[in-house]
Amino acid sequence: MLALVVITIVKLLVLFAFTMTCVAYGTLAERKVCGHIQDRIGPCYCGPRGLLQPLADGLKLFFKEDITPSEVDKPVFILAPVLAVAPPLLAIGVIPFGESITLFGHKIPLVVADVNVAVLYLFAVASFSVYSIVLGGWASNSKYPLLGGLRSAAQMISYELVLGLSIMGVIMLAGSFSLTDIVHAQKHWWFVLTQPLGFLIYIVAATAELNRLPFDLPEAESELVGGYHTEYSSMKFAMFFLGEYANMVVASAVGACLFLGGWNPPFAFLSFIPGIIWFLIKLFFIFFTLLWIRWSWPRLRYDQLMTFSWKYLLPLSLLNIVATAGVMLWMHRI
Amino acid sequence: MFGPLLNGLKITLKHMVTPGVTVKYPYEHRKVAERYRGRHILKVDEEGRELCCACGLCEAVCPSRCITIYGEEDERFEKSNVGKIAGFYQIDYTRCIFCGFCVEACPRGAIEMTQFYELAEPAQKGDDPRAGLLYYKERLMKEPPTLGEEGGAK
Repeated sequence: MLALVVITIVKLLVLFAFTMTCVAYGTLAERKVCGHIQDRIGPCYCGPRGLLQPLADGLKLFFKEDITPSEVDKPVFILAPVLAVAPPLLAIGVIPFGESITLFGHKIPLVVADVNVAVLYLFAVASFSVYSIVLGGWASNSKYPLLGGLRSAAQMISYELVLGLSIMGVIMLAGSFSLTDIVHAQKHWWFVLTQPLGFLIYIVAATAELNRLPFDLPEAESELVGGYHTEYSSMKFAMFFLGEYANMVVASAVGACLFLGGWNPPFAFLSFIPGIIWFLIKLFFIFFTLLWIRWSWPRLRYDQLMTFSWKYLLPLSLLNIVATAGVMLWMHRI
Repeated sequence: MFGPLLNGLKITLKHMVTPGVTVKYPYEHRKVAERYRGRHILKVDEEGRELCCACGLCEAVCPSRCITIYGEEDERFEKSNVGKIAGFYQIDYTRCIFCGFCVEACPRGAIEMTQFYELAEPAQKGDDPRAGLLYYKERLMKEPPTLGEEGGAK
């Protein structure tokens, strides 16, 4: 019993440190990728090749003056950044990073909580993200944050539906809501091969859920100053960014688990490389794709965003489900 | 619909792997053109005698009137081979537009332009804070420092 508690606490700490490191270096990766895409070199003075830049950014944000505008709804104003960070940190707990390892005679599964309804839990927790944006926009008592918050509410509700439907095919094929079972079901065929449409829709909907370009309407700089975080400063401002990048890590991890075979190597002869390495490679591949998309494509107009979701993605994802079901029936797999 | 989107991704990826154009300026200097018009230099001949004979053509041709010259006799031909030198030669770099007319006007090739461009100076104490940008003869006769080593602020 005690061993279980200790192991769980250690796992939580490691996972928390991992997520926060990913977030910190995610910001650096974003700036580096952006720089190189634009024929620049990105941050390069802070530490070797700019590797200490996240540290410098963090210190700067800590020491900045924390301004609370006089007209804001104070409790909600403070609550919103907290709600931005909490959901991704809750969500990362159910993601299996690899198969169990044996350490000091204990069999340790590389997941904090192997929930049998992990996918449902992920969606339940991810839905909280919208609250931070809506509440932040509302509590700021200012027009640009409010517009950003409202846009975000409509956008995230639309795309959450599509996001949920896009992975139904995977759940049908795996026959389970547990992420561990889903990864085991991809031993031979990754679901990206059997569900290519589902994977595409997942990436698009996840990008929209993360409020990232080309769907970053809630914080469209050229239209809304900064969007929902216009009135925020110092560490409260940083919390929103922490949340955004942590959400990206979660979305990448979930994508790797559901579609790219989790910790399974692509070919059987490559299985001498530990599963966790494969999982991280896949995670960072999706993460990089998100960055790559951001610096390549322009922002959609708001009506285009809504049309795209309801008129194209939703029917497509429904079609995907029906087609998957049909093929499964035909192959007598139910 | 997907063609242009994928094409965009292809282009950004291509640019990502090509090296950037950044020059880390204070640490690296871009190579300027061979005929770049930077700070002036007053030349001397093989025996170390000044070429400038204070004819005043550069002063006359200068569109921004940044050159001031006072001639001086050199009866014993110590400093020049024509018996006359510029006793006072000043270029005011707060006014100079680096057009190079002075170089073209000079009949003896006494004034040339170098590739040195780090001319910023800290404000000077005293009446004129821009006094550091008034270059006198001694300074103009010296080769400019290597870029970056002694450039600008000291």
